[in-house]
Amino acid sequence: MKKIERKDFLKLGGGAVLGGLSGWVFSGAPFLGFQWLAEWTQDQYVPVKGFEKYAQAVSDSCPAGCKVSVRMIGDRAVKIESKDGVCPACHNALQLTYHPERISTPLKRKGDKGDGKFVPVTWEEAVKEISSKMNSLITEGKANSIAAINKNESLNGQLMEKFIKAAGSNNVYYEPSLKSLTSSALGGYINYDFANTDYVLSFGAKLVEGWDSSADMQKVFTQWKTKGTKIVQADTVCSMTASLASEWVPVKPGTEAVLAFGIANYLITGRRLNSTGEEFGKWSQLIINKFPLAKVASYTGVSEERIKKIGDDFSKAKNPVAVSGKGACGVNASSAEIIAVYCLNTLVKSKAATLMTNSSVTYKGEFAGLDSFIKDGKFSMLFLNNSDPVYKSVLGEDLKKKMEKAFVVSINPIMNDSANYADIILPSLSFLESETPENKAVVSNFKESKDAKDIIIALSKSLDKTKDTFSFASGIDSFKVAGKETASGAKFSFNVDKIKNDIDALDKKFAANAEYPLFMIPVEAPLVGDGDGLAFPYVLKSIDPTVFYKGKLLVQINRETGKKYGLSENESIVIRSARGKLDKVYVHLTDTVAPDTVAMPLGFGHESYTKYGSDKGVNPKKIMAADVDPLTGTADWWSTRVKIS
Amino acid sequence: MKEKVKEVKMKRRWGMAIDLDKCTGCGKCSVACNQENNMPIFEDDSDVPKRVAFLELMKVTNDRDAKFPDVKTAYLPKMCQMCEGNDPKNPNPPCVSVCPAVATDVGDDGVVSQIWSRCIGCRYCQTACPYEARVFNWWKPEYEGSFKKSLSTDVSVASRGTVVKCTFCSHIWKRERDAATAKGILDINAVLYTPACAGTCPTGAIVFGDLNDHDSEVYKLTQTDRAVRLTNPVDDVKDADKKKSLLKAKQFTNPKVYYLTSQQWLRDMMRFKKNS
Repeated sequence: MKKIERKDFLKLGGGAVLGGLSGWVFSGAPFLGFQWLAEWTQDQYVPVKGFEKYAQAVSDSCPAGCKVSVRMIGDRAVKIESKDGVCPACHNALQLTYHPERISTPLKRKGDKGDGKFVPVTWEEAVKEISSKMNSLITEGKANSIAAINKNESLNGQLMEKFIKAAGSNNVYYEPSLKSLTSSALGGYINYDFANTDYVLSFGAKLVEGWDSSADMQKVFTQWKTKGTKIVQADTVCSMTASLASEWVPVKPGTEAVLAFGIANYLITGRRLNSTGEEFGKWSQLIINKFPLAKVASYTGVSEERIKKIGDDFSKAKNPVAVSGKGACGVNASSAEIIAVYCLNTLVKSKAATLMTNSSVTYKGEFAGLDSFIKDGKFSMLFLNNSDPVYKSVLGEDLKKKMEKAFVVSINPIMNDSANYADIILPSLSFLESETPENKAVVSNFKESKDAKDIIIALSKSLDKTKDTFSFASGIDSFKVAGKETASGAKFSFNVDKIKNDIDALDKKFAANAEYPLFMIPVEAPLVGDGDGLAFPYVLKSIDPTVFYKGKLLVQINRETGKKYGLSENESIVIRSARGKLDKVYVHLTDTVAPDTVAMPLGFGHESYTKYGSDKGVNPKKIMAADVDPLTGTADWWSTRVKIS
Repeated sequence: MKEKVKEVKMKRRWGMAIDLDKCTGCGKCSVACNQENNMPIFEDDSDVPKRVAFLELMKVTNDRDAKFPDVKTAYLPKMCQMCEGNDPKNPNPPCVSVCPAVATDVGDDGVVSQIWSRCIGCRYCQTACPYEARVFNWWKPEYEGSFKKSLSTDVSVASRGTVVKCTFCSHIWKRERDAATAKGILDINAVLYTPACAGTCPTGAIVFGDLNDHDSEVYKLTQTDRAVRLTNPVDDVKDADKKKSLLKAKQFTNPKVYYLTSQQWLRDMMRFKKNS
């Protein structure tokens, strides 16, 4: 064997190194390295290009029917613009449409209820399962155990009401709203002629913070500012409405109704005004005897002189209007309060408040309202039409237990706390994907999801009993049968017998309570509202650090009260009411809140509202007061007696 | 031809007036800004230190100085204040002179611009900004899954380690100019535009326009007694001569964003004055 010379050895070694190097170069590894380096330094995502155009859309899922103009790049919607104003839900429709956690196919429950385990099924299977279940209930004569909870009175809610009623059940409910509450208390919801009023007396209605139709209210507010309309706001916290109002009347928590009694008392006895409502005599006697001004002043913290002054101003204004319905997106008021405030309108013969009805919507079922249904109702089958009562109702925990024993169908585009307890989930659309008579859909349907109207029509066609409910096969035709709004014509009644107990109970409510010395009242953050906004990152981006900061939900407490309880800023506290406790709440000391009050942000503490909305803060509804109002069938959760430790 | 182009002088000096007495704190400006400017979507955008947004919806109250119920609340939409320094003809914002990479500059239209891809991430400008209007991308801007579909092609997505800021949506002006050019209008001064926040404000609290045009609504608003600028002490000097000499001797930010309010507490708070 030839001996390897030193030179050959070096040649061989050099060749190996060269070969290795060239192999490495040709393998592409260095180029991949450059790519990594480039990605690491310039790691932008480049949005897909396309032609720019604007598409028009009208929301069919919000009761206000927001009209928007959508900027499109190719087939992608990139911006929602509106000349007429748009409600927060419609403004966020872009992030709903492109939400990474959209439900793509019909789902069937796999594990236990509440586990959140679902498997995809086909539309045929899902509809078949629902219709066979419904059929068997109808043939057994248990049609009335089929129930539905609608989110609102939009067209798909109206179709759902028709469908369930055709199946033989009376149990159709709506998530409590200003319309549903006033309808139940007064026999019609109030159409306010805000444009022509010169004096607005608001009892805790946060008029510019999402109350009623928020887009319209913003416009109304601009008109008020230019015309110099006087706005008087009774409120416990220095809300934006209170701050922008011409006059803020700070009231003790939950005493808005008592203030209304006081003003009514003064107008009846002091200024000899009369209401035409039925049972006015009985009601006025009750109020005059039970709520003399001195008592009202001590309950509300508003002096007698000021009550008289408000009464005088209100009755002397040209076209005054009194507004009830405390809150912004989440509205709450007892029927006694709604009636008392409406009474003020009738006392001064206000032309700005008319009672209306919608021909396709009745807010009452077998029970007066959603909360009384949850409390006392029985159901073996429940439809949830985009609603989330498990999260939004103070009786959500009770509803969960009842839902565990029933067959639950949920129609919604993304998961929520209630859908987590469903047996079947049917994916619906964002309004950008649904067609209206005026406009085509802006973007195409997400995967297998379908329009809620089409889903309800398909369900009704699948049953013998309900197959003739709708004379059309497609949701687009249902716009023809949309309910008409008309003046209710119903005579307003004080319903004294029904609300007397509640009025009597007020004394007990405001009496000193050693065990629960504080009151908890809700506040809302912009865009978050009463919880719908939390699944959208651009809403999370707007949350002020004094409301929610790095996973901590902050409750607002007056400085003096804080001192009394030895609280410091950002300190963790536990809030207890007779119904339970909330931990992991932190303190923000601020004098924008009345003393002895805990101002609690609504909208946080979802259990399963996509990864963006879940596990952020706590849901105070769990411990809020749950006395159900006899007329509205809704719990009066506004002010809850609590203690902190 | 070349000379002709030179003759066209920039007339515009974009500015904004925000009426805080009309602002209801609805947050529409914030959502519109986020949509328009491709704001990154992090897993938890309620995490304020990590948050990247051009427009901050600041909640302000006078609760430190007043007791319940003499308190007030207001929302203050805060974006880049578009400082111009003492001389509008020779603008000199505090952030521009410190940039070692010429990533931020002030245009002849008065808009303080920022080119994300040129930024080297030294954050000098962020430190220099007296309004905390600039944000740094500590993390890679992410848009999970299908959220990418809602991204606009007009604003480039920033990479990690760069400073980003409000540009008065100047890409919209460019877009409008392109549309005008397509119609044959070549004059840069022929086109007006509206940034996303001003375009969406439902109460008309945000007014945008040309401060050089003395007939414009925004100019008229800035000349009223209600106008106040964030922490700009030169506004407090009423004597014209003294103001002139001060402007020569000292450096002021001179923002082109004006706030309008008749509420004294708010005016004081914006100037770091104690409520008396």
